Amino acid sequence: MPTSAPDDRPGPPLLEVRGLTAGYGRVPAIFDVGVEVAAGEVVAVVGPNGAGKSTLLKAVAGLLPAMAGSIRFGGRDVTGRASFHLARAGLGYVPQLDDVFDPLTVAENLRMGGYSLDRQELTRRVEEVVAVFPQISGLLGRTARKLSGGERKMVAVGRALMLRPKVLLLDEPTANLSPMLASALLAEHVRRLADSGVAVLLVEQRAMAALRIADQAVVMVSGRVSLSAPAAELAGRSDLGELFLKGAQSIQPAERAPS
Amino acid sequence: MSTALQFYLATALVYFGVDLIACWAFNMQLRAGVLNFAFIVFQAAGAYTQAVLTLGPQTNNSGYQSYVFGNELPFPIPMVIAMAVGAAIALPVGWLVLRRLDRDLHGLTFIVVSLIATRLVEIQVNWFNGPTGLSLIPQPLSGTVLANVAPQDYSWLYVAFTGVICVAVYYVVHRITSSPLGRTLRSLDDNEPAAAALGKAVTANKVMIFVVGGALGALSGAVLVAFIGAWAPSGWLYSETFVLAAAIIIGGRGNNLGVLIGAALVPVGFFEGTRFLPAFGPPGLIDAIQWMAIGLLFLVFLWFRPIGILPERRRIFPPPGSAPKTSRWRALRWGIGSAPRLAVASAGAAPAASAPRWPAGQAASSGRLSDAPSASRTGRVASVVEAVALLSVTNLRRGFGGVQAVDDVSFEVPAGQTIGLIGPNGAGKSTVVSLIAGALKPDSGTIRLKGHEIAGKAPHVIARQGLVRTFQLSSQFSSLTVMENLLTAVPGQRGDTLSGALFSARRWRHQERDSVARAWELLRRFEMVPKASEYAGNLSGGQRRLVEVMRALMAEPQLLLLDEPMAGVSPVLAEQIEAHLATLQAEGLAMLIVEHELGVIDRLCQSVVVMAEGKVIAQGPMATIRRSQEVVDAYIGA
Amino acid sequence: MSLFVTSIAFGVITASVLAIGAVGFTLQAGVTNIVNFAYGSTMTACALIAWVANQAGLNLWLALVLAALFGAVFTALLNRLIYVPFSRRGTGVVSMIYVTIGAGLILEYALEAIWGPHYFTYLQSNGASFHVLSATFTTSQVAILAIAVATMVSVHLLLTRTQLGTAMRATAANRNLARNCGINTERVVDIAWALSGALCGIAGVVLAVNTFAFTYTLGEGFVVIIFAAAVLGGLGQPYGAMAGALIVGVVSEAAAGLTQPEYKDVIAFAILILVLLVRPHGVFSELSGRRGVVR
Repeated sequence: MPTSAPDDRPGPPLLEVRGLTAGYGRVPAIFDVGVEVAAGEVVAVVGPNGAGKSTLLKAVAGLLPAMAGSIRFGGRDVTGRASFHLARAGLGYVPQLDDVFDPLTVAENLRMGGYSLDRQELTRRVEEVVAVFPQISGLLGRTARKLSGGERKMVAVGRALMLRPKVLLLDEPTANLSPMLASALLAEHVRRLADSGVAVLLVEQRAMAALRIADQAVVMVSGRVSLSAPAAELAGRSDLGELFLKGAQSIQPAERAPS
Repeated sequence: MSTALQFYLATALVYFGVDLIACWAFNMQLRAGVLNFAFIVFQAAGAYTQAVLTLGPQTNNSGYQSYVFGNELPFPIPMVIAMAVGAAIALPVGWLVLRRLDRDLHGLTFIVVSLIATRLVEIQVNWFNGPTGLSLIPQPLSGTVLANVAPQDYSWLYVAFTGVICVAVYYVVHRITSSPLGRTLRSLDDNEPAAAALGKAVTANKVMIFVVGGALGALSGAVLVAFIGAWAPSGWLYSETFVLAAAIIIGGRGNNLGVLIGAALVPVGFFEGTRFLPAFGPPGLIDAIQWMAIGLLFLVFLWFRPIGILPERRRIFPPPGSAPKTSRWRALRWGIGSAPRLAVASAGAAPAASAPRWPAGQAASSGRLSDAPSASRTGRVASVVEAVALLSVTNLRRGFGGVQAVDDVSFEVPAGQTIGLIGPNGAGKSTVVSLIAGALKPDSGTIRLKGHEIAGKAPHVIARQGLVRTFQLSSQFSSLTVMENLLTAVPGQRGDTLSGALFSARRWRHQERDSVARAWELLRRFEMVPKASEYAGNLSGGQRRLVEVMRALMAEPQLLLLDEPMAGVSPVLAEQIEAHLATLQAEGLAMLIVEHELGVIDRLCQSVVVMAEGKVIAQGPMATIRRSQEVVDAYIGA
Repeated sequence: MSLFVTSIAFGVITASVLAIGAVGFTLQAGVTNIVNFAYGSTMTACALIAWVANQAGLNLWLALVLAALFGAVFTALLNRLIYVPFSRRGTGVVSMIYVTIGAGLILEYALEAIWGPHYFTYLQSNGASFHVLSATFTTSQVAILAIAVATMVSVHLLLTRTQLGTAMRATAANRNLARNCGINTERVVDIAWALSGALCGIAGVVLAVNTFAFTYTLGEGFVVIIFAAAVLGGLGQPYGAMAGALIVGVVSEAAAGLTQPEYKDVIAFAILILVLLVRPHGVFSELSGRRGVVR
C-alpha cells in the first residue's frame, strides 16, 4: 500500500490504522485499509460513493468490529475496545447523519458531549466550545431538531469537541451544507482545529474542498486504499477524475486549471 | 372402559380437534404477517351463532336466558352460518386495521379489540345473558335422527364428525399454503415492499387471509359449543389466544404437522392431561402451576428452539429433465443440505423456457426478437410502436419539510434503450426511483408508462403494468428458498388467488411447471443452480443481489428499474452482473439504472441523466456528459 | 351535572394511577425498544409485597416505598438476566413480545401459587373526607393524587435537570451517539429500568389502594390500559405518557359517567384504537425516530 515518505509528516502518528478489514454483519466492506494521522494534521479520505469511507470511520470509532487489522491510538492498541471507552480516551467522532440528539436542546447536546466531566469543568467547557462557534450562543435553549443544517452541524462538531479530543473523526461534515457554509466549516474550523494540535481524519465527498485544507490525502475505491499522497500533490493532478471514478473512461472537462 | 372415562376421552378428542382447527387457521394468518390476537373473538362469535341458532326462540325455555335471533335450524346450517358470521366480522375489522397499521401495532390493536369484545359481552346482558352465558344448547341431531343413540355412543359419533371437519379444514389450509398463494402470503411475512414491487396486493391479501381465518375460527367455536352445550364469556378471554400462540411456537410455525403436535401438547396434553394428577394443595394451585409452566415453556422454547419442534418444510422443485413423479423423493433428499448434481441435466431444459419474453420495442438487437411472441403467456401484448417513450417523466416535484428533493425533473426512457441516472449523494436519485415505483407520491408532475399515467398509484399496480424495480438494500424473501423467490415474481399465476388455490390445483401446477423451467434456466444463466434450494436469508450479499435481479426478470418486466445494482458487490460479481445486463439489453429490454459505478453506466447506457441537488443538470450520451464542467464540478465538489 | 363533576374527579384519580404506571412503562420502551408485558404482574407483585409489610405492621405509605424498592431491583434484574440475553441473540420483535408475556405469566401465577386466589386489602385508617365542588375524595385518594404529582415532578426534574436523566433521553434518542459521548449506555439502561421498576411498584400499590380489594390478577388487566395511555402519548415519550394518562383517565370516566359505568374500559380502548388508526405514532410523538411501537 503506497504511503508517503516519513520525513514529510509532522511528527509521530496519533492514530495508526493498519490492515483494517471491517464491515456489517459477516460481510466486509473495507479491506486491508491503512492510514495514519499525526497531531496537527488533516488527513482527507476521498473517493466515490460506496468506497467504504464511512465504514472506515465507524470501525475506527468502535461502532463496527474489526475483522482483521489493528487500530492504535496514542501508541496503544485499541482494536476492539468499546466505543465509549475510546470517546473518553480522547477519540471524537461526528457521524454524517444522526449527528445530534434531536429531542434535546443545544445546551443539553453539549452537556452530553462532556458527560464524564465534573460540573465546574463542564460549564467551563461549554463556554469554550460556544466561543469556538459563536453562532450557536443564542441557540442554547433551542431543540436540536429545529436547527438549520449549518447550525446543526456546528452543534454536532461542538459536541464532539467537549472532551478535548486528541483525534477527531469527521464523516462528510459538509454534506447538505451550502458551498459557502461548507468552505467556512472546513477552512475556518477544521483547519484551525488541526492547527491547535488535533489530529483530524476527514471523510469528504467534496474532494477538492477537502484537499484544499488537508495535509495528506487518501483515496479509497471499492473498499480499498488506492492511493495515498500529500494533498497538494493530489489536488494538482489532472487525472483526479480518473482516480476517483472506476471504469475505463474518466470524466474530464476540456480544460482544468489546478486549484 | 368406564363410561366416565369414555366420555372424558371423547371430550378431550373433540377439544383437540377444535384446537387443531384453530391453530391451523391462526398459524396460516401468522405466516402471512397477520398477528391476529383477536382470534378468540371469532371462535366466540361462531360458538354464539351456533348456540342461538339451535336454542330456538327465547320463549322455548320460558325466557330465562336472553339472547338474540333465536331459531332452531337443522344441522349443519347453524355451523355454516357461523362461518359466515365469522367472515362478516373479519371483513370490516380486518380492512380497517390491516390497511393502516403494520405488524407491531396491529397485533396490539387486535388484543384491544378482543378486550373490547369481552367487555361488551359482559355488559350487554340482553344479548349474551351476562357472565353466566348460555347453556342447554342442544347437540346436533340429538333430538331427531340420533335421538335414540346412547350418550357415550353419541360422543364417539361426534368425535368422528370433528375428525371429518378437521380433515376438511386441513385440506383447505394445505391447499392454500402449498399453492402460489401460500408463497405470496409468506413473502408478505418477509418483506411487504418487495412483494408489492412484484405486483402483490398487500392489504387485499392480508384482509383475505384474515377473513378466511375468521371463518375457520368461527367454525371451530361452533363445533365446540355444539358438543359441550354451554357458552360462557369466561371461556373466550383474550389470553386464550396466547395458548394457541404457545402451541404454534412450540410445535413449529409454518409447519402444519408441527402445529398439530403443538396443539396436542399444549392446550390438550398440558391442560387436559393435568386433570389426571391428584389434587394437591389449596384450590387454584394446580391451575397456577400450569400457567407458570406455560410461561416457562415459552421462554425455554424461544431460547433453545425458536423454530419449534418441527421446522418449516423446505420446498424443493426438481429441475426439468429429471425423471417423472417418483423421483420427487430423491430430489427431496438431495435438496436438503447438499447441492443437487443436476447442473448437467438442466442444460437440456425445455425449449419453452429459453426465450425471454420482452415485448419488443426498437432495439439494436439481433434477430432474437423474432421469437418474441406478440402475446406472451401472461397475456401482455407486445407494444411494437416506433421509438415511443416507454417511460416519460415530466416536471416531477417532491419536497420533504422545506427541502425540495426532486425539483422539476423530466426525462424519458425510450423502448428498448438503457438510460442511466447518476449524480452525487443527495442528488435526489433515490427519491426519483421511489416516485416512479409508487413508493412515494409526487407533489406535482406526471409519470407515464406506455402512455398511461402512473404517478401516485400503488406500487403493486405499477408493477402489474410492467415496471419492475430492484431495491438498493437487499430485499430478498429470507425465509423462502431462491427458487421460491423467483417463483413469487411470476405474474398472473392462477394459483395466486383464493379460488385458484382451492379449486384449480391441476391448472396452476401445470402453469407452475413452466415457471419452474424458466427459473431453472435463469439459475443456470446466472450460475446459481447449486443455491436453488437454499434459503435466501443464508446467501452472501452478492448472491442476494443476483437473486434480486433474477427475480425481477422472472416478472417479465417491460421496464426494469435498477437501484444501484452494483452496491456492495465484489468487482468479479459486478462484472458478471454487467454481462447479464448487457445480454438483456441486446434482447431488447428497456432499463433505467441508477448507479455510482460510472464505468458500468458508460458501457451500458445509450443516454445518461445527471442530477444534482434535486435538479437535472445534464442529459445526453456519455461522451457529451464527460465534457461538461458542471458535471465534473458536481462530482468532484470544487 | 354533579354526576359529571364526580366522574371527572374520579377520572383525575384514575389518571394519577395511570400516569405513574404509564411513565414507567414508556421509559422501558423508549430506552430499550421492549414492550414489557410483564409490567402488569410486576405491579401486582409489588402491591403484594406492600401488603405483607403492611400486615406486619408497617405504615402503608412506608410499605409503598418498600414496594418501590422491590420493583426497582426486580425489574432491573428481569431486564439484565432475561431480556438482554434474548435481545443479544437477535430475537425478533414478535418473539420478544412472547418472551415478556412468558415472564409475565410465570410471575403472575407464581403470585397465585404463593398467596392463593384470595382478595387482599390494606390496613388503612379512614381519614377525613375532602369536598371539592360536588365531589368527595377520601384521604387515600388525595394521597394518591399527591403521590402522582410528586412522582411526575421528580421524573421531570430527573430527566431535565440531571446529567443522568439527560443521558437517558440521549440514549433513547440515539444510542450510538451517546456512546460516542463517552456515556456507558449499558449502565444508563440498567438505571432506567430500575427507575421504571420503582414507578411500576408505586403504581401497583396505588392501584391496589384505589381498588380496595385486589387479587393476583390486579395488574394483568390494567397493563393494557397503561399500554393504551403510553401509546396514545407516543411510546417512549414520558411527557406523552403523562398526557395520555390524563386523557384516557378523565375521558373514559367522564364518558362512562354520561352513559353507563360499565363502559369505562371499552371507551378507553376505543379511544386508543381511534388514535392508532388516525395517528399510528401516538398523539404527541415527535416524528423523528419514527416511534410507534418497537422499531
